[in-house]
Amino acid sequence: MTGNFKFRRAIAIARKEVMHIMRDPFTMIVALVIPVFLTVMFGFAIDLDIHDVRMAVFDADISQSSRIVYEKFIDSKYFVINKVAPLVARADRPLTTEKSKLSLIIPHKFEEDLYNGRGAVAQVLLDGSDNTTVNLVAGYVAGIETALNQQFYESLAPQPPVKLVKVTPRFLFNPEQKSPWFIVPGLSVVILAILSILLTSLTIAREWETGSMELLLSTPARPAEIILGKLLPYIALGLIALAFIYVAARLVFGVPFTGSYLAFITGSLLFIGTYLSMGLFISVVAKNQQLAMQMSLMAGYMPSMLLSGFIFSIPNMDTIWQWFTALLPARWYMTICRACYLKGASFGDLIVPFAALIILGLIFFTAATKKFKGTLE
Amino acid sequence: MFELLRAFVKKEMIQALRDPRMKFFLFVTPMIQLAIFGMALNSDVKNVKFYAKPMINDQLFRDIKRDAIASTWFVPVEGSEKPGGEDIEKFRSGALDLQLYAPEGGLTRAYEKGEGELEAVIDGADLVRGRGINGYLNNIVNEAVGARKGKAESMDFESVAQTKPAETQKQPIYFAARTLYNPELQTSYNLVPGVICMLMCIITIMMTSMSIAKEKEIGTFETLISAPVSVKEILLGKTIPYFIIGCINLPLVFFVAVAGFDVPMRGSYIWLAVATAFFLITTVAIGTMLSIIAKNQQQAMMGSFIFLMPAILLSGIMFPIENMPWPLQVIAFFNPLKYYATLLRNIMLKGGDFYVLATRTGALIMISIVCVTTAFKKFRLHLG
Repeated sequence: MTGNFKFRRAIAIARKEVMHIMRDPFTMIVALVIPVFLTVMFGFAIDLDIHDVRMAVFDADISQSSRIVYEKFIDSKYFVINKVAPLVARADRPLTTEKSKLSLIIPHKFEEDLYNGRGAVAQVLLDGSDNTTVNLVAGYVAGIETALNQQFYESLAPQPPVKLVKVTPRFLFNPEQKSPWFIVPGLSVVILAILSILLTSLTIAREWETGSMELLLSTPARPAEIILGKLLPYIALGLIALAFIYVAARLVFGVPFTGSYLAFITGSLLFIGTYLSMGLFISVVAKNQQLAMQMSLMAGYMPSMLLSGFIFSIPNMDTIWQWFTALLPARWYMTICRACYLKGASFGDLIVPFAALIILGLIFFTAATKKFKGTLE
Repeated sequence: MFELLRAFVKKEMIQALRDPRMKFFLFVTPMIQLAIFGMALNSDVKNVKFYAKPMINDQLFRDIKRDAIASTWFVPVEGSEKPGGEDIEKFRSGALDLQLYAPEGGLTRAYEKGEGELEAVIDGADLVRGRGINGYLNNIVNEAVGARKGKAESMDFESVAQTKPAETQKQPIYFAARTLYNPELQTSYNLVPGVICMLMCIITIMMTSMSIAKEKEIGTFETLISAPVSVKEILLGKTIPYFIIGCINLPLVFFVAVAGFDVPMRGSYIWLAVATAFFLITTVAIGTMLSIIAKNQQQAMMGSFIFLMPAILLSGIMFPIENMPWPLQVIAFFNPLKYYATLLRNIMLKGGDFYVLATRTGALIMISIVCVTTAFKKFRLHLG
């Protein structure tokens, strides 16, 4: 417990930890296989282009026009009709029974209204209980409405072309709007966050529980050396996992990597270091594995999934919550990852996230060391 | 046997909750988390930093810009029109989300000629947000054009919830769209049932698997086996406490959801309780199975994660299952989370349809029976 910080001693502890990991192949498997498995699975599973939306049609008109209307839905390829009924009663049934996401109701005299110029109204019921998709589906419906109107304008009366302004969007960094390009870089953040916290949060708690901590303490190693020694092997493991995810992203999903590798590796190191320190801090505080697990779940898993900007964009939050997310390392690494994979960022572009990660990392590292020192006395 | 079991459960409960911090993390943090997620997360697009420089005489483009700012979703920022295209540096650093270009000669003139086209360059690195921006922009443009035509009939954002009288209709076909169950599209309505489902299963699976693994790790498992208790008693004594903890958690998070976020509860509490009971039986059994494989607590924790990550993905909480490739849909068919998440949403938002309740609860019961018998068999084998 005396003397200055010796890197050599930290290395010795790191070596002990490496042996510990090697002895337990389970940890190795978790660290190396699971990231790739999850990346591939999530990458295939999440498709932001909603298709195969189940819909029910209540056609009280049974006319040629009503047929044209709902066939337009089928032609759009977004919808699958799983029920056509002539009766309009209880059109919300298919939604309550989870059989359809949308009900189209074509009233009696639809065709008549259409041809006598009064305008035909069809009703659309959308399932708002799933509002991740309802906006998109509403957009598809609006698109079909426009297409139908153009078609009927032409058939009803040859008119001068409809004046409108068409918005032609161009999506920078992901011009073809590919879901995996969006999902996979974000996913690597979530997976690394979970992995780091999983690996470390229990290591010190375990030493307390099994009593080997007393042993470690009776050695001349200082707290900072113990903490650093515990960190190093897991940083290496995290980097290997990262490399695996990178290969999966590039080879399986063809995600481009346009940024600077130096920036990416720096950011990844900082992030892994920060998260591991956080895990260690939890481990030191908890002293009990079950508690450590609960704490790391609450601090690591759910926030890194929901508050990091992975799915829910941070700029969409209210300002106070945007500030709140600044406390989460995952939020900064999300910026780094997306910038390096897609936006072609250079080292200089990412100074702010780097600084934020360094500050957070230092806070957790000192807290872990301090707290550790405190528990010794 | 009953006496013994009660004593066993009591001992387990005391052990699990001995640390006051544990009580806090088990019962209070889920409430805090739900509150934070409910307040912070939002699927509406906000704070869109955009740059548009209409020419002085381009009235339509100027209207669009004015409407965009008035909508408060869009915030104008300084930018520059580079000769070669958009200011990629600004997009890269996130200082710009959207840049609008009018066609040569101005948008108004192009529009009068019938070839109005507005080019929108959008930051697509965050694709979900990028698409949201595109959608909002379309609404604003349509409204501005509609206003110019002198009839505000084009689909504005609110019209999803409105029905329009037929007299004023100028287009041949109009879809009167209505969003049921959540007409204002509150993010929390959708999110809260999902988060409840996630919290419930994370807590119970992890706690159960770790508590058994802990006994193995510190060697008290041997003592337990040599004690005059049956396998059934050990299993029940080890799982009932976490079942109870899960049962306590539900009303707590539910209270936050309903009182704090006005998430409606339109269905029956009894069904909710029944569904939750069977869901918890399943998760506790899964936790037991995981603990059989795991040698120590770390492995139990990792095993739980390996189960939970895909289970949450394939539950339909965040991403629709129908949209996934069929092999994953097949796996999702056996996922208890899928049924529980559907039940929670159906009961809370749709008032609970008997057919859905019966089939989904039935599925949960089947899964729980399979899980419990497997856990029991494996556990006995494991002890033997």
